[in-house]
Amino acid sequence: MKVRRSSRQSATIPTASMADIAFLLIIFFMVISGVEVDRTRVELPMAKNREEAEKGAAVVVLSKAADVDDLVYKFSDGREASRTVSGPEDIYLEASRLIYDDPGRQFIIKADGSVPYERVDELLDKLRQGGVVKVILLTAQWTEAGR
Amino acid sequence: MKVSGRRVDPEIPTASMADIAFLLIIFFMVTAVFSATKGLEFKLPKEEARSDASEEAVFIKVRADSSVMIDCKPIQPEEIPAYLQPKLERWPDKPVILYTEPAAPYQAMIDVYDVLGSSERLFGFEVKNLSVPTQSEVREYTELFGVNPFESQCAR
Repeated sequence: MKVRRSSRQSATIPTASMADIAFLLIIFFMVISGVEVDRTRVELPMAKNREEAEKGAAVVVLSKAADVDDLVYKFSDGREASRTVSGPEDIYLEASRLIYDDPGRQFIIKADGSVPYERVDELLDKLRQGGVVKVILLTAQWTEAGR
Repeated sequence: MKVSGRRVDPEIPTASMADIAFLLIIFFMVTAVFSATKGLEFKLPKEEARSDASEEAVFIKVRADSSVMIDCKPIQPEEIPAYLQPKLERWPDKPVILYTEPAAPYQAMIDVYDVLGSSERLFGFEVKNLSVPTQSEVREYTELFGVNPFESQCAR
């Protein structure tokens, strides 16, 4: 018996839904990723109680330099990317300027957990002299297993 | 004259759409930063408002070796709320001074500050009157008393 060959169909992979999935992923990444003003790697101190900083808070970074013994100070007004400053005196000037425009401005201190407290204290002192009242000490989430 | 032609189904080519979309995904994955903006709230005193250290205050000292003393007695940070609870329940505004030696690691100060912050959640009382003297305040007190009152507190 002769079987009649059915009409030939071209093999295609349906790709229409691929774009839907891809755009969903794009929206996901756009929503969860914020604009970070400072990307300095810092071993933050760990704490159990953590509160969310206000949006647009100014950032003061105190990190250990890889090649030198001294610490590196950075400052961001919360809008522009952080830049290296020479020390606490510069931070005092920047803080005073920001507080003059917005007395309620919050400042985030992003400091390495292993730096001597006197260096953080010095920063807190300069911020207080600049009129800053609201400060967030940036911390990592404390866990039993450590970092 | 009759022209015969094959009928073509109308369709929008979408194959390249996925390519563009995946390129955008890669871009966002590479540039995305999961912003870490959580920490411990810290209120700095105003420059003109300066409170005197009271004799009645509870004095917590973080030493350079990360050990902690409360009213000159050694204590573990997690035991601090239990020590403070009876005192602050009697006098909720009782001042608590947290003094950290300059050479102590920042993490050691955060450990104590974190415990004080969790006292309301874990023990039901709040440390309302917490004072963390900064270096300039310590200098002022030192000029006033002739010695650093926070360093000499437990030497008496």
